[in-house]
Amino acid sequence: MNEEQLWLDQARKGDKDAFGQLIDAYQIPVYNLAYRMLNNSGEAEEAAQEAFIRAYTRLESYNPDHKFSTWLLSITSNYCIDLLRKRRAIFLSIDEPLGAHPALRSDKIKEPEAQVTLNEQQEMVQSLLEDLPDEYRQAVVLRYWYELSYEEIADSMETTVSAIKSRLFRARKLLAEIGVKKGLISALEQVMA
Amino acid sequence: MEQEHDYAYALMMDALDGELTEGSKLELELHLQMCSDCLREWHALVAIETLLRTTPALAPAAGFTQRTLARLPNRRYRIWALTAIYLVLLLCGFVPMALGAWAMTRLLPILNQPALINGITHSLTKFMQVIGAVLMALFNGLGEVVVQQPAALGWFLVIMGVISVWGGLLRELLSQPQRA
Repeated sequence: MNEEQLWLDQARKGDKDAFGQLIDAYQIPVYNLAYRMLNNSGEAEEAAQEAFIRAYTRLESYNPDHKFSTWLLSITSNYCIDLLRKRRAIFLSIDEPLGAHPALRSDKIKEPEAQVTLNEQQEMVQSLLEDLPDEYRQAVVLRYWYELSYEEIADSMETTVSAIKSRLFRARKLLAEIGVKKGLISALEQVMA
Repeated sequence: MEQEHDYAYALMMDALDGELTEGSKLELELHLQMCSDCLREWHALVAIETLLRTTPALAPAAGFTQRTLARLPNRRYRIWALTAIYLVLLLCGFVPMALGAWAMTRLLPILNQPALINGITHSLTKFMQVIGAVLMALFNGLGEVVVQQPAALGWFLVIMGVISVWGGLLRELLSQPQRA
């Protein structure tokens, strides 16, 4: 039995410390997914915590034949999709700017060049992702940051592999269009150079 | 020409997924040499692909684990609570069944007495006879009224007819389209 399975078994029996180990192990992927989806650090933290709480209370329904990470990311992305729908319904007419991740708010002048470049890169990513439809963004994030296969993405989004291929196809096309429209492609080439 | 672009675009997607065969790779390269629009699109796709693949994941603020753990519900209490609910529901089913079985064992010797069963059967038969007699009397009475007072039946039929005609008329009026 590997370490993760041991933590899962103990967590099922109510051992919070064991579940804490799982949170430690997966906090970055879960938070990153929530942030990429929601583009707001406060909401991302809240969503990531909620995803872990949901996972903890539903541990009985976890099927050990699948990867725990895929199951956890599926809970996170579905929760984020729900939040985005609610957000759209509530804040339809409010143009309040969303809170950026602290890493993107730092003072660029005082930082080393590499950090500035990284911040620019993160801003570009968020700028591209924010204009994608929710389902496309979900597929893109799962594909690029977690390198999930089409099958795994389809599994976590409860849809078919062909639907995921089609979403990624359109998402890439849209991202390229958004990149050109926002002038990000030339800026990107400078950053990457 | 449009079909060629679509085909080239499908090849670009395969290339981004690393699923392009040598033959298809050559096809794509040839197309890109001839088509400046597709070449521009390809450059944009590659730039975005590189950006997404090289951008590191963002981490939450320090202390995330502790903050999350503080919000976790107590799973042990939950398990105990669920067990208690399950036991209560089990008892809800078990207790009436046990009481029923106990009552049956107590009542069975009494119920098995032939005199009691005969008595119950006799009472039921009598009750049914009384109900039958009452219903017969009512029908007979109604028949006599119709025979002796045919006008009463006539009036009844007339009133029913009027009600039916007015009802039909009202439905017709209500179903007429409203004029603007």
